[in-house]
Amino acid sequence: MSNSLMNRILLAVALAVAYVGVPLVFGGNAYVLGLIVAALTIAGVAVAWALLGNLGGMVSFGHAAFFGVGSYTSAVLAMKLGVPVFAAMLLGGLGAAVSSIAMLPALRLRGPYFALAILAYAHIFQILATEMTPITGGAGGLLSIPRFPTVLGFDFGDKTGGYLIVLTIVVLAALAYDAIRRSTWGLALKAMHDTEVATRVVGVPSTHLKAAMLVLSAFITGVVGAFNAHFISFLDPDYAFSSGWTVLPIAAAIFGGYRTVWGPVVGALAIYLVDQLLFKPILPHGHQMILGVLLCAMILFSPGGLMPALSRRPVKENRHAHA
Amino acid sequence: MLTLKGVQVNFGGVQALKSASFSVAEGESIGLVGPNGAGKTTLFNVISGVVRPTAGRLDFRGTSLLKLPEWKRARLGIGRSFQIPRPFGHCTVRENLLVAQRFGAGKRDLRRIDEILDILNLRDKADRDATTELALTEHKALEVGKALATEPSLLLLDEVLAGLETSGKRAFMERLAAVRDRYRLAMVIIEHDIATIAALCPRVLVLNFGQIIADGSPDAVFRDPEVIRSYTGETTLAEAS
Repeated sequence: MSNSLMNRILLAVALAVAYVGVPLVFGGNAYVLGLIVAALTIAGVAVAWALLGNLGGMVSFGHAAFFGVGSYTSAVLAMKLGVPVFAAMLLGGLGAAVSSIAMLPALRLRGPYFALAILAYAHIFQILATEMTPITGGAGGLLSIPRFPTVLGFDFGDKTGGYLIVLTIVVLAALAYDAIRRSTWGLALKAMHDTEVATRVVGVPSTHLKAAMLVLSAFITGVVGAFNAHFISFLDPDYAFSSGWTVLPIAAAIFGGYRTVWGPVVGALAIYLVDQLLFKPILPHGHQMILGVLLCAMILFSPGGLMPALSRRPVKENRHAHA
Repeated sequence: MLTLKGVQVNFGGVQALKSASFSVAEGESIGLVGPNGAGKTTLFNVISGVVRPTAGRLDFRGTSLLKLPEWKRARLGIGRSFQIPRPFGHCTVRENLLVAQRFGAGKRDLRRIDEILDILNLRDKADRDATTELALTEHKALEVGKALATEPSLLLLDEVLAGLETSGKRAFMERLAAVRDRYRLAMVIIEHDIATIAALCPRVLVLNFGQIIADGSPDAVFRDPEVIRSYTGETTLAEAS
C-alpha cells in the first residue's frame, strides 16, 4: 500500500473518530469536551502560525493580535449590529485579515526583526481595544456575547455544537494549508526561504506571496478568535489579546511538528490535554513546568516534532510527499 | 531589444558603473568581459532589477525597466543565472524548473520542462534534491534551466562556465549553443575564457572600472591596446607575454 493511500485512510479514520466518536464518548462529559474545544482552539491558531512560519518563512510573535481582532470584530458585529453569529464569525476572520494589512510593511524585515515588529503591532491592537470603550467596552470587556444558534434542531450553542464548529474550522484550515503546500505557490514559498532574490528573478512576486500567507494566517486566526468569543460569550482586552494566544500555539506547533500539516493539531491536543488531564491533577501549581521540560526534550531529541518522530521519517526526507 | 543609456551605479562612494551605454538586438549573442571588479555582475544586476541604477535609462522592447521589480522583468522576458548557483532549497531539480515556469512564463508545460532537462543533460537528476545532490556542472546547468523555464527572449549568463574543467566546459558550451539556437534567444555571457567567448559570441563588450572600453568583434576587441592594458597593464600582447 502506498504512503499516500495509507495517509488518506488514516486521515479518514481520524476524521470519523473526531466527528462521530468523540461526541458519542465525551458528549456527556462537559469538562473533558470543554478541554478538547480549548485544545482545538489552540490548534486552529497553531495551524495558522505554522502556515505563516513554514510556508511564509516568518516567525510571528503577534498572532494574539489576529485572535483578538477576530474575536472583537465578530462579537461587536453580532451584539451591536445584529449580524448572525456564523456570518459574524467569518467577518471576524475578515477583520483580522484586514488588520494584518497594517503589518505588511514588516514583511520587508527578516528573522527577529519581523518577529519583534509584529509583536509591537499586536500590542497596538490591544491598546486600541482597551481605549475604544464605546465600541469594545474598554477594559471591562463585553458580556453576554451571542452564542451559536440552533440550526435545523441542532444546538450549536452547547459544548458538542461548539466542538463540531471548532473541529471544522481546524480541519478546513489544515486542508487549506496542505493544498497551498502542494501547489506551485507552496513550492515557490519553500524556494524563497533560502534564496529570495533567486526566486524573484524567475518571476516570483515574493513579497506578494508572503503577504498572502500573512493575510490568510490572520484570517484563520481571526475566525478561531471569533469562534472562541461566541463559545465563551465573554471578552476583555487582556484575555482576547493575551500572549497565551501566541505562546501556546507556537509551543503546540513546535511540539507536534510545524513543518507537517497535522503536527500543530496533534501538538495542541497533546500538550493541552496531557497538561490538563494528567499533569494538573498531579501538580496543581506549576504543572506547566513539566510541559516546558517535555517541550525542551522534544526540541533536543526530535527537532522536527512529534509527527515526524511518530512516522519515523525525518521531515527532510519526507519533503517530496509534501511538495 | 535592450537599450542602456548612461547607466550609473554608486555603492556609497564607489562608482561600480560609470555611464554604461549599449544595445542588444533580438537573437544577438554578446560576450561581456573585463577584469575582476569591472562591474560585469553589477550590470547584470541592474538589467535584471536586483540593483537600482543611480542614473541612466534602461528600455526593454520599448518598456522602461527602471521602476519594474525583478519579477516583472522576468515576466517581460529577461532571464538570468547567478555566478554562484542558487538552487531553490528543499526542492528537486524539476521543482526548481516548475517554479520558474509557473511564475516566469505563467504556465505549466511539462513537455517543455522535459525538453529543458534533456538539453541540459539533467533528465536523470530531475527528481534529485537540487541543493545537495548535484555536481558543479549540474548546478550550473540548473541555473541556465531555471532562466530558460521562464521562456526568456534575453538570457544573461554570469560565468556559467567558471570552475568547469576543459571537457566539461566544451560540453557545456555546446549545450549553450543548442539552447540559443533552439529558443532563438539573445544572450549576454560573462566569461573570462576568451576562446569560449570567441566561439559563442560574434560581438564582445569589454568593461573596465565600470566603463565600456571596447565593443566589436572578438578579433578586433582582443587586439585593442586599451583592452590588453586593462587585463595586463601592458599595451601589446607581446609585451604582456
